[in-house]
Amino acid sequence: MQALSRTAQARIAAAGLAAAAAAGCIPVQVQAPDKPIEINLNVNIRQEVVVRLEGAARDLLESNPDIF
Amino acid sequence: MTHLSPLPLRKALAGLAIAAALIGAPAAAIADDVVDAARAGGVIGEQADGYLGVAAGQTASADLRARVDQINIRRRAAYTERAAATGVSVNEMAAAVACQLLATRVQVGERYRDEAGTWRQRTASAPVAVPSFCGQ
Repeated sequence: MQALSRTAQARIAAAGLAAAAAAGCIPVQVQAPDKPIEINLNVNIRQEVVVRLEGAARDLLESNPDIF
Repeated sequence: MTHLSPLPLRKALAGLAIAAALIGAPAAAIADDVVDAARAGGVIGEQADGYLGVAAGQTASADLRARVDQINIRRRAAYTERAAATGVSVNEMAAAVACQLLATRVQVGERYRDEAGTWRQRTASAPVAVPSFCGQ
């Protein structure tokens, strides 16, 4: 992603918007995968992002008692 | 499950399964006795990546593994949705939830997996080692 120029990124975004417009709606899809998910503990996590997400995380826990 | 039972029986079983699913659906998952017992017994636990896992050295039945997988699939869907709404990566959303889960939900005797991938057990004298990315 970082290697892409701004114009290339803009072109990709425009293509995505065009596709969405052609379909008549903005697609918002969240699909559960049908194969087992891979758990990866070696991810780069930015601490400042995690700290900023504290409220959202707490809300997510409280609003989904069936999975947390 | 390698050989199939006669059709009428399979239909009856399928009907029962649907009925059970309908009755069981609203309460669901972590109010799931099997999952709760496994967690309390230290067989499964929370991981630093925001998902449930089977602790090292523990044996989980196929049924328990399937339940854990289902919860993790639904968790990932929830992380994905919230991450998109917040403009962060799915892994960061999951990590933020892991910080909450590890800090507040792991009881004495339960197991959890730290950020280095090592399974640990919370004891009365050893509080949960919360991942460094949680801050503070």
